[in-house]
Amino acid sequence: MAFPTSPAPVAVAQGATPTKPRPPAQPAEPKGWLGLVFMAPSLVFITGLFLIPLGMTLWMSLHNWPLLGRVKFTGLANYAELAHDMQLWHSLGFTLLYTVLVTTAIMAVALPLALLVDRPLRLAGLFRTIYFMPVVIGFGAASTLWMWLLNPDSGVFAQLLRGAGLVDSAPRPLESFWPALGVIILMVVWKTAGFTMVILLTGLQAIPADVIEAAKIDGASVFSRFRRITLPLMRNSLLLALVLNVTSSMLAFDQFFIITQGGPANSTISAVFSIYLASFSSYRLGYGAAMSFVLLVVLVAISSVQLAFLRQRPEES
Amino acid sequence: MLKIRWALAALSLAASTVLASASAQATDVTLWVRTSSGAVLQGLADHYNAKHTDKITVTQITAEQMVPKLGAAIAGGEPPDGAVLDLIYLPTFAAAEGLEDITEFAKSRPYFSAMSPSHIRLATYEDKIYGVPALPDASIIAYNTDLFQKAGLDPAKAPASLEEIAADAKKITALGNETYGFYFVANSGSWLIYDFLPHLWAAGADILSEDGRTATVDTPAFRETVAAYRDMQKAGAIHPTSRSGNGNNAVEAFASGKVGVLMTGSYIVNLLTSKYPDVKFAVAPIPGPKGGVSSFAGGDTLAVMKGISAEKKKVLLDFVDFYMSPEEQVYITKESGMPSRTDLAADAYASFDKRNLVAYDVLSKARTPYTFSSDELFVSRTGPFLNLIQGTIFGDDVDGAIKKAQADFTKILERTNP
Repeated sequence: MAFPTSPAPVAVAQGATPTKPRPPAQPAEPKGWLGLVFMAPSLVFITGLFLIPLGMTLWMSLHNWPLLGRVKFTGLANYAELAHDMQLWHSLGFTLLYTVLVTTAIMAVALPLALLVDRPLRLAGLFRTIYFMPVVIGFGAASTLWMWLLNPDSGVFAQLLRGAGLVDSAPRPLESFWPALGVIILMVVWKTAGFTMVILLTGLQAIPADVIEAAKIDGASVFSRFRRITLPLMRNSLLLALVLNVTSSMLAFDQFFIITQGGPANSTISAVFSIYLASFSSYRLGYGAAMSFVLLVVLVAISSVQLAFLRQRPEES
Repeated sequence: MLKIRWALAALSLAASTVLASASAQATDVTLWVRTSSGAVLQGLADHYNAKHTDKITVTQITAEQMVPKLGAAIAGGEPPDGAVLDLIYLPTFAAAEGLEDITEFAKSRPYFSAMSPSHIRLATYEDKIYGVPALPDASIIAYNTDLFQKAGLDPAKAPASLEEIAADAKKITALGNETYGFYFVANSGSWLIYDFLPHLWAAGADILSEDGRTATVDTPAFRETVAAYRDMQKAGAIHPTSRSGNGNNAVEAFASGKVGVLMTGSYIVNLLTSKYPDVKFAVAPIPGPKGGVSSFAGGDTLAVMKGISAEKKKVLLDFVDFYMSPEEQVYITKESGMPSRTDLAADAYASFDKRNLVAYDVLSKARTPYTFSSDELFVSRTGPFLNLIQGTIFGDDVDGAIKKAQADFTKILERTNP
């Protein structure tokens, strides 16, 4: 918070005791209130949209809070019930599984895509646009689209597969667990790989061309150039892509709510979905708040591990 | 999640403030209506407004949002003046003290005895009446008479029991060419209470006790019903989309002419005749496993919100008298297939498809589960009822699914009983 233009002598004259003159190299504290003014808008936002709701979530989670009827203080009863709620733990486990699989899939698709479109060709721009296009669709709209694409009776996929003679009867991926998870991952990769590609592309383009050239002159092969130069130098954008993907996958809701609707047999209920069910199917707002809080703790733990990696500079490792 | 709740509360607060200020002239009343009934109620309100100085303003609310929105509006102190709700939610709102007691009004109507008994039963809480029927409908089966003929069955005679349906369904499936004997919507709780529970009622059993406070899952009727469904499932006679179906495709599947028997509701008659006139079909009440018939009395009930002014209450009740008049009952029948009154069949159906009368006749035997937690028990995608049906019909462990459902039902009931 050093303001290079702030006149140091004035500050000294105002606040300093004459017996102990400050060393002139240390600039005086700038006007504190000015800093506060600059921070005020974001403080208002953080307080109003995060801290107050967070406090209210905590407050609600200590109550039996039905949508209709009387609110009753129950202390930690909601949290005690959470510990034995098999459905919740199952959905947390499922969300973790989904996160690992979908993040791997997105990275596996986005990195080659980024390498492909990172060329000084004129057509590269066109392909970047094509790969990025699904990103601009809303998640809810994309899920609804895929719900109908996957419809066994009138969906496009079933018609195409049958038309091509590949299958005799329409496939019904949503009726068993792994196929259902598979099509969801396919849809999410289609929807979000373009965004990860752009993040990775910025990392790729920040690699100085002369480093690569020097490696070429030294006779490094394509693979060792990629492994020894490209990957380490784009480490930060890789980590950023990872953090963003993991966080959004842990909060997945739309695709399961709309496409699988939690089925088959409640096996694809994500953590946020189970909060939704507690709050807006069972109308237990207090219990839903307690679940939200537990999910927040889990998310903060995961994110802080990832951010710790992100903070390490590549030259330190 | 909290953000959503607050956004919701703020939204409904804003909406109701706007509505409240619009109704400041004391003779304007607001009525929330679920979307599926929106058009009919809007039509009735238009007729009413044309003839009266008082004004009814209809606001449409998506069916699955009605309970959260109305709940938030009541909690926020700004509810609408009246609501036309799915009748199954009446006990919930009555027990939460959200509705106005209109016992005197209802009982003093000359047509009180002609109000659908199930609507009145659901609207009654601790001997007081909190609503009157607006739009009824009833669940029935529809069967394709062409396919019945082709399979050597008598299309003039409806299957008299579920076991007969199963036998017929297998014969129809044997016709081949991707024809299936039976279609039911198995992945939606609201469809299943509508189309599955009547099997139990027809056999004199029920899944909840009369007062809705205890669960009675394991009955011989339930096991017989499930056995018939499993029999069909094993024989491949159930349409493959049934299992994961949420209702989106049911009518289209039946209209394609490749489904023998469809579990559906009274609205199907007018829907098929107007949109798919080529389908040859007949309708019948839903049979029990070994005989008997029943139906789910569905539809909407009009309720007055607690604490509204006397003038507004008068207008709303006047509106009830208005739509119960024979002339408007004919309009309702034309639009939604069934009149709200059970004594006007001759007038109401004079110029409509006679097949509508099947559902009308069964309405007196029709039932509705009386429950304070319909969404949590029956509608929720993770709820015990949906798990019970999926587990017993498509799963491997019938006993285990029944046992688990009984325990889950009991757990929820113990928490939610008022």
